[in-house]
Amino acid sequence: MKTITHSIALAGAMAVTAGLASAEDINITVWAGGSNDGDSYRIEAIEIAADILEREAAILGEELNITVDGRRDFTGWDEFKQGVTLGAEAGTAPSIVVTSHLDITSWSQAGYIVAVEDYVDLDAWPLSNVYPNLMEIAASGGTQWGVPQDAESRPFFFWRDTLTQIGYSEDDIDALPGKVASGEYTLANVLEDAKKAVDMGVVEEGYGFYPRVSNGPDYAQFYQSFGGELMDADTGKLVLDKAAMTEFYQFFVDAVAAGVTRKNHIGTEWDQWYNEVANGRAAFWHGGTWHFGRYKREGNDDFWNTIQFSLIPSGNDAGRANTITHPLVYLVMNQEDERIEEVASQLIAIATEPRLNTLHAIKSNHLAVAQAQEGVDLYRGNRWASEATEVLLGSANAQPNHLQYGAFSEAMFRGLEAAWTGVQTPEEAVAEVETQMRATIGDDLIVR
Amino acid sequence: MTSRALGIGFLAPALIAVFIFFLLPVLLTVVFAFTNMSTSTGIMGGDYRINTDQLRGLPEAGISAPSVEKLESAGFQITEAGLTALADQFSEDAADELRDDHMDATFGSRRELERLLKDLDDPIRRTRDRKAAADLFAVTIVGERYSTEDEFRVALSATGIDSADHDALTREAFTGWGWTTDNFKLLLELPSTLRFALNTAFYVVCTLAFNILFGLFLAISTFYLPGKLANTFRAIWFLPRILPPVLYVLMWNWFTWDTGFISTVTGWFGVPPQNWMMQTTGHAWTVVVLINGFVGASLGMILFSSAIKAIPTSMLYASEVDGANRWQQVRHIILPQMRWPILFMTSYQTLSLLTSFEYILLATDGGPGRGTEVWALAAFHTALNNYGGNLQYGLGAAYALVLVFIGIALSALYLRLFNFKDLLAKPRIEQ
Repeated sequence: MKTITHSIALAGAMAVTAGLASAEDINITVWAGGSNDGDSYRIEAIEIAADILEREAAILGEELNITVDGRRDFTGWDEFKQGVTLGAEAGTAPSIVVTSHLDITSWSQAGYIVAVEDYVDLDAWPLSNVYPNLMEIAASGGTQWGVPQDAESRPFFFWRDTLTQIGYSEDDIDALPGKVASGEYTLANVLEDAKKAVDMGVVEEGYGFYPRVSNGPDYAQFYQSFGGELMDADTGKLVLDKAAMTEFYQFFVDAVAAGVTRKNHIGTEWDQWYNEVANGRAAFWHGGTWHFGRYKREGNDDFWNTIQFSLIPSGNDAGRANTITHPLVYLVMNQEDERIEEVASQLIAIATEPRLNTLHAIKSNHLAVAQAQEGVDLYRGNRWASEATEVLLGSANAQPNHLQYGAFSEAMFRGLEAAWTGVQTPEEAVAEVETQMRATIGDDLIVR
Repeated sequence: MTSRALGIGFLAPALIAVFIFFLLPVLLTVVFAFTNMSTSTGIMGGDYRINTDQLRGLPEAGISAPSVEKLESAGFQITEAGLTALADQFSEDAADELRDDHMDATFGSRRELERLLKDLDDPIRRTRDRKAAADLFAVTIVGERYSTEDEFRVALSATGIDSADHDALTREAFTGWGWTTDNFKLLLELPSTLRFALNTAFYVVCTLAFNILFGLFLAISTFYLPGKLANTFRAIWFLPRILPPVLYVLMWNWFTWDTGFISTVTGWFGVPPQNWMMQTTGHAWTVVVLINGFVGASLGMILFSSAIKAIPTSMLYASEVDGANRWQQVRHIILPQMRWPILFMTSYQTLSLLTSFEYILLATDGGPGRGTEVWALAAFHTALNNYGGNLQYGLGAAYALVLVFIGIALSALYLRLFNFKDLLAKPRIEQ
């Protein structure tokens, strides 16, 4: 009898252990950089994906319990990136991060991230439906490291009422995006019209052309407008085109000289800047697709009747009208437990489902990452999303995933700042940028 | 238990604190400054890998053309060894089908091979299995990561690449950091170095002068005020020091922005609103010096005030009996006796101003046009703040190391100037 009791107890214990073994608990932490309340779906999409993956596992007879912990309360990109990299060094990195695609090169070399292509089928839905050029932006060195989380684009904006007052008809204004795209309306025209607006007193001095107030991808667009190329496609090296750089700096110097842009513009408070451009204090400015939502919060409820948008106009014959897209990407961080990397990669793939990504795109005024999103009602029904996709995304390029691009971008902006504020002439500034780039970038730079 | 051992025991906590909070950071700065450490190299070590981006640069690194071509063209190949493993681990049918239809076929990437495995009559259905199965046919090392040099060299040998290229390839493949003196060469080469040095000198001299003179002015002027009033004034002037820097600078921002206080007030007189902080480099320097000056002056005020109180009042009374006015008192009695406190404040403030950048970071962030970028701020920007994400820890540390040396040199100079031994001499009165 005693033996039997023992056997039953043993069998029971085994059954319980077996039951426990088949139930798998996975903790996934998601850190999203540069995200505010509007970007909540960067994390919530992973939560929804976890639910779907649990259900898929349940159908296969496996019990999978995924806990998703999200965090996006970082004071800025600096804090986020320091947290991620130091966490990776200490082995306490989150499982999934949402960050700039520019981080891929350095984080992959350092071994902080693992390639999603090792865990998911890139040829299967929904990843097979992601725009190929966006997919490429999340790859580096021949490896698909991540998956684009959102897309955006950086348009040029016009205040309609100001244009009307300097003599444009409604039809002229409506035709502007086309003229910009074809190269008929250039940055020289912008300067001319901005000066007109200032001279006629439609806008105050310094408010004719009202650019971004800090460094960012936006300024590379003006370099491209004057024929500059960021990376040489054949060699994979960064390119300093001195003529394009000089003309790009000269444009801003001319704008200051003409009184349409303030000499001390860089460093203006962002809140003040948003409020001013949203309410027509500036004639021309540039920004990002997410501005659409921001202007509403600044009190402009009537975007379509007050503002026109286009590509960044070309600067000269060598250049082109262009816009830069700077997608954020989902990346999987290196984990001690490979199973977490696998689940994290699967969650990212599921979160890319057109319907889920559309929730983020529409809530945060970003653009779609997958072709099928154009067919999702929520996306198609949103005028801004569909028009911005149509006008901008086709001509969009991204900044290169190059280890030294940070040094390149930094030097380019410092030179612009020096020329803009009158510390140096454009020629002097470009000469210094060249010395700086040759020293810091070295063999990875081509100077033209 | 000797008293010596007891003494060391009592000192131990202080020694440990000095080691952790002073010596260790300095040591680490020295170590980091002689490395090429950055975000991409990581801090803890490195692995070995060659990716397709690196392939393009290999000829320049002295790798022979046949080796590069071999690396480029190798990918995935259906071989008998792979098929045996496939039959063993996954599916015999799949292996047979591959042997019949695709023997010796090569694939540029794993993805291409995965597609084939998915399209077989007897496909490998699970993604995870398909990837593992495809890896059985890998003949490439491109894109693979090896955690030790030995593993990498073994893999390299297996590819049949000329062994003459192995050393150079291993060097190229290492992802971690290495020792170098390039950071200092770069500092000498960069045109910005001189500008940052001059900025720093200008900033330290101006702020120091403001600190000391204004601190003295406050101390002397409050000295002649009745006690309660004097304390009130001192408390007010102490505010900048006890306010959190972010709040303090935010108030300055609000004060100087083109929608701020000054612009509003000057606006009443028809002056167009402008950014009084960032208008020109001159504006920016003025604000930076004032922001730091008020913080430093409050400390000077406290120190100088107590020094003045230590002056025997009999001397002041005597001077008044002799008919000296206030200025003569200050000039001939107070200032001469303030020599040591003034020297102390000067040296202390020089050293702290050299390395301080937080108020500048919060106020102008070195702008406009790097006009107020001081050395310490440049170190911060290089090591911890970069738009592209690849932070240059090594170069940033090299910037910082220069400051450490200047700091040590100045300390030595000041100790000599002070005649430190005399200051520490036993008081004669007790002998």
